[in-house]
Amino acid sequence: MGNVLTLKMELPKVPDIELVALEGLDRLGKFMEIADEKIGEAKILVTEAVINGLEHSGDTNPRVTVEYTMTNKELVIFVRDYGKGFEPASIEEPDITSKLKSKHKRGWGLKVMKSMSDDFRIESSATGTRIVIKKLLG
Amino acid sequence: MEQQFSLTSELRDNRLIIATSGYINNVGGEAIATEFNNHFANGVKEIILNLAQSKVVNSIGMSFLLEILDQLEEVGGKMVFTNLDPAVEKMLSIMGLFKFAGKEASVDDAIKSFSSQ
Repeated sequence: MGNVLTLKMELPKVPDIELVALEGLDRLGKFMEIADEKIGEAKILVTEAVINGLEHSGDTNPRVTVEYTMTNKELVIFVRDYGKGFEPASIEEPDITSKLKSKHKRGWGLKVMKSMSDDFRIESSATGTRIVIKKLLG
Repeated sequence: MEQQFSLTSELRDNRLIIATSGYINNVGGEAIATEFNNHFANGVKEIILNLAQSKVVNSIGMSFLLEILDQLEEVGGKMVFTNLDPAVEKMLSIMGLFKFAGKEASVDDAIKSFSSQ
C-alpha cells in the first residue's frame, strides 16, 4: 500500500482560513507525487466542506476539524463542525436555470461535493455535522 | 499559499476582458460582478473572463457570476470563460454554467468565438 500520510487540524472561523487546509493538502500531494488535476479537485472539495462547516453550522463559536488520510491511490477528507446540525435530505438540489432567476444564487456546496467526489457521506445531529469524502487519486 | 484576489480589465471592441488572479471567494466574486456592472451600465454585453491565474475558487464566489449571467441573459449578451484550470472547469460544469456561458482555451479564441457569431 505504500505511504499513508495523515494530517489533522482545527480551523476557527477567520477569513479565508480554508486556504490553510489547502496548503497542507498541496504539500501532501506534492510529496506523494499526485497529479495536479486530482489535487485541484480535492482542493475544491475541501474548500466547500470547510466553508459549509464554518458558515452553516449554527455554532456560536464556529470551528471545524479537518483530517486527511492520503495514500498514492486515494484521499479521505473528514470535516467535522460542532454546530446544531441539519437534515441533509431537506436541502434542495440547486438547478442553474432556477438559480439564474432566483435572488438566492448560493447553495451549491453539497452538489459540488457530491458530484466531484468518488464517495460522499454526511452525518448530522444536534451536536454537529461530519462530512466524509473519498477522492481517488490514481 | 494561494495569493490574494486581484483583477485587471480592459475593453476591446466594446467587449470586457477581465483577468483574475488568486482565490475567487465571495470577495473575489463580488469584485468581478462590480467590475462587470460598471461596464454593463455603459452598454457592454460581452465579457471574457480569463481565470488563468485563479486555480482555487469556491461556490460562493462562483454564485456572483450567476448574477452576471442573469443580467446578460436579459439583454442577449454573453460570457466566455478562458484558460480554465481543469478542476475549476469541472466545478463550473457541475454547476451547469456552461449551459449559459461559453468556454475557450484562450482570450484570443474567445474573441474569435464572438466574431464568428
